[in-house]
Amino acid sequence: MITPENRKHFFDLKIPLGTLLSFYGIVLLVYGAFGPKSIYAKSLNIDVNLIWGIVMLIVGTAFLSVAFFGKRKAR
Amino acid sequence: MTPVITLNFVDYLILAAYVVITIVVGYSLKKYMKTSEDFFLSGRSLPSWITSLAFLSANLGALEVIGMVANSAKYGMLTVHFYWIGAIPAMIFLGLFMMPFYYSTKVRSVPEYLKLRYNEATRGLNAISFAIMTLLMSGISMYAMALLFELTLGWSLTSSILLSAIVVLIYVFFGGLSSSIYNEVIQFFLIWLGLLPIVYIGLHAVGGIAGLMQRVPPSFFHAWQHMGSASDNPMGVDWLGVVIGLGFVLSFGYWTTDFLVVQRAMASEDLAAAQRTPLVASFPKMLVPIIVVIPGLLAVALLPQFKVVPGGPTPDYNSALILMFAHYLPNGVLGLAITGLLASFMSGMAGNVTAFNTVWTYDIYGSYIKKDMPDAHYLKMGKYTTVVGVIVSIGTAYIVSSFPNLMDYMQLLFSFFNAPLFATFLLGMFWKKTTPWAGFWGLLAGILAAAFHYFVLYHGGKVHYPSEMAANFYQAWWAWCVDFVVTVVVSFFTRKKEENLLVGLVYGLTPKTHSEERFFKKPAFWGVLSLAVMVALNIIFW
Repeated sequence: MITPENRKHFFDLKIPLGTLLSFYGIVLLVYGAFGPKSIYAKSLNIDVNLIWGIVMLIVGTAFLSVAFFGKRKAR
Repeated sequence: MTPVITLNFVDYLILAAYVVITIVVGYSLKKYMKTSEDFFLSGRSLPSWITSLAFLSANLGALEVIGMVANSAKYGMLTVHFYWIGAIPAMIFLGLFMMPFYYSTKVRSVPEYLKLRYNEATRGLNAISFAIMTLLMSGISMYAMALLFELTLGWSLTSSILLSAIVVLIYVFFGGLSSSIYNEVIQFFLIWLGLLPIVYIGLHAVGGIAGLMQRVPPSFFHAWQHMGSASDNPMGVDWLGVVIGLGFVLSFGYWTTDFLVVQRAMASEDLAAAQRTPLVASFPKMLVPIIVVIPGLLAVALLPQFKVVPGGPTPDYNSALILMFAHYLPNGVLGLAITGLLASFMSGMAGNVTAFNTVWTYDIYGSYIKKDMPDAHYLKMGKYTTVVGVIVSIGTAYIVSSFPNLMDYMQLLFSFFNAPLFATFLLGMFWKKTTPWAGFWGLLAGILAAAFHYFVLYHGGKVHYPSEMAANFYQAWWAWCVDFVVTVVVSFFTRKKEENLLVGLVYGLTPKTHSEERFFKKPAFWGVLSLAVMVALNIIFW
């Protein structure tokens, strides 16, 4: 049965999701910045790891900050 | 054959992080699973942004991505019909008109609605056919994944089947539907973030949209212009087949009655959130062609093996996406793209397994085998069914490996089971004179009509269609018609259900609720907006 006590009882998905995406962002960013450059011959000499790492880090931290500040506001 | 893609340690790190996070999420949900409703329906407590993305992702599985990129390489923009007319009207209809009946009656599954509206026999027929179909689909997902990994990574079929099966088993076993839904949301982001780099680099390579248009046949950029007759377009289907077969029957049959997707909306925290689930999902749905149609077109423009030469060999379209990865993605984003695919494979399988164990536990086991047991018994049953479901899926994975075109096979299954079902629901929800036995006989007749059409008429050579796809679309249409007519006719000769038993289940016998919410929270607002966007897109890409 659904009672007021057990409603909304799951943890916030934004936290694992934000963590995963931020982690990917950091990995790609570091690999793009410090890894070998020869692999970008495939991608028309665009360092796509660096660009995409930054994008993912932004998306990931956005989730984490919404989860963190949203929770504080609710209290 | 040597693998076309070589992953390095960064790619494996990305892949491993995904596997770890899904298991952690699944395991962390374990302590919340106290009742069977927690396990099968997420305690009806999820917000609509989560259920919407899961609703969409449940359908954005293995076949969807690879098959639709293949379709786009083969047919061009015609593929958008699967995302626009073949999905949006049905999703809007579900949200605005059908969700109130599903959610307010507190039914726990689609077959359970059939039991309340019609009778036990109708529920049984639907529950059993759904259970079979779900496991077939699950097997298809596994096979597709294993094949992909064999091609790309050089892993054997068996080892990738076992790896994915074990991961899915762990997280569904602990977290049930919530695990499935959470993983679908994670998958939603991974598939977008994983595929956008190939769109970006590919468009760069071809010289933007303008360059792409120059390098593919002109008909590849129009959704409707070449649909006048079946012989004018590569898909071999005319506009009527697309509108009534795909847009009406197959799409409504799938989006409004397939428990796999409806279950996501049922997990919402309240009726308004349940109604918003398919409506909000319709917007990202309309954008999915960006990550499937564009890579397909890019493959035709950039890769020599997809140039169609008259008299030459037919290209292997199912490999289009992978070959694009192999040619244009460096390690790093390559691992991300593969992880996006892996995520869509796994969550597709998990979705099937959770839908299967819900229907099995509530509608088959709990209704025919062991009735009225304490709730804890059914919770335990659900967990063990997960194990059985995964094992049976592994078996079906090997069966489907003998079918050449996965996408057509999927359409074939839909048209046997789902297409007639929509007639049964439409009459049941909107015509109170429909009788219990009419529901059963109508549904059975519809399924048999589809099978008869396929095996006797089409494969027996009695009727001819310009293409396999046209045959599927028209078969769905005729199955729907047979179900509709038989249900109406039988209703005149069998006993009606008392009206007080139909309150809440049928339109006209259900009191209307008035909400004081502001307009942007109202389902009707989202429905109208979504429809307007869809019409605009169809005009732009006419």
